Amino acid sequence: MYEFAEWLSTTPLLGLANSIWGWGFSEWMRANFWVIPTVQTIHILAIAAVFGSVFMINLRILELAGRTQTMTWTAQRYLPWVWWGLLVLLVSGALLIIAEPPRELVNPAFWIKMGLVLIATLVSLWFQATVRRNIAIWETSHPKRVLIRIAAVAVIVLWGAIIVMGRWIAYAPVY
Amino acid sequence: MNLDAFWQALEYSPIGDFVAVSGWAFPALESAHVIGVVLVVGSIAIMDLRLLGVASKVCSVSQLSRDTLPWTWAAFVVAAVTGGLLFFSNASGYAANSFFQWKMVLLILAGLNMAIFHFFTWKSVHNWDVDCEVPTAGKVAGALSLIFWILVVTCGRWIGFTLGGFF
Repeated sequence: MYEFAEWLSTTPLLGLANSIWGWGFSEWMRANFWVIPTVQTIHILAIAAVFGSVFMINLRILELAGRTQTMTWTAQRYLPWVWWGLLVLLVSGALLIIAEPPRELVNPAFWIKMGLVLIATLVSLWFQATVRRNIAIWETSHPKRVLIRIAAVAVIVLWGAIIVMGRWIAYAPVY
Repeated sequence: MNLDAFWQALEYSPIGDFVAVSGWAFPALESAHVIGVVLVVGSIAIMDLRLLGVASKVCSVSQLSRDTLPWTWAAFVVAAVTGGLLFFSNASGYAANSFFQWKMVLLILAGLNMAIFHFFTWKSVHNWDVDCEVPTAGKVAGALSLIFWILVVTCGRWIGFTLGGFF
């Protein structure tokens, strides 16, 4: 972590962070004490929508909840909340970066989080595509059942790691 | 023993001391607390939105409750235990913080709302379980639940900004 943080501070990201810090909007967000906690609250509520939805989809895959509903229904019910939630996370997250750019842009925990978010987004896109084109994968009798179950647990762990890294932004070393 | 002395006793207990002094315990507990909280709020919101007729309309109310409620409770245990341990680290500071006090009041209100819904409105669930309009009492419970939990999260985040230290 320390080496990663040190390396980040040698990249043009540091200059970028410092220049965003000088924006009028950035200064306004810091000057008004209520703005950052409010945007963070929206960010956490959006995580609740996304993680709650991802959790229900994967519980359905693991057959631990929602077994009375089809996989198609489960995907249609929860995937829009994942995508709209991700949009809110992106916008509120971008606002938080603008408010305190060095806190995120040269922070190792932030970039690890972004890597994990990218993986999680690709997994969700793949899931959405297979539900539409290859629904048979999600049937109980599918031969790759064990593999699919492991993947479902991995996706829940992945989102958990994203939340952990998000919280760690406040504690990770920044140079 | 007065209340202030009690909070201080928690703070100086081996657990309180460990969470406050250890470099990793506080952020680790906080991360687990956030995971617990978002799952509580996310799973409760699924039920609230069904009661309000916004989502999951084709799914029976009692079935959706069976699918979500065990996970809500499991996540609540995680959030309560980790929250309790975080509280130990600075008990007198949290106890005196108005956002913390409001958060506890809102948690009690959310619990009462849930209890009233469960013991009164839920009794007639067989009448409005599927393909039916949810009775007004159920809709009110769903709306109040959403409001209480959004405010719980809001107060929770504000505690970090009004207590000092990391946020």
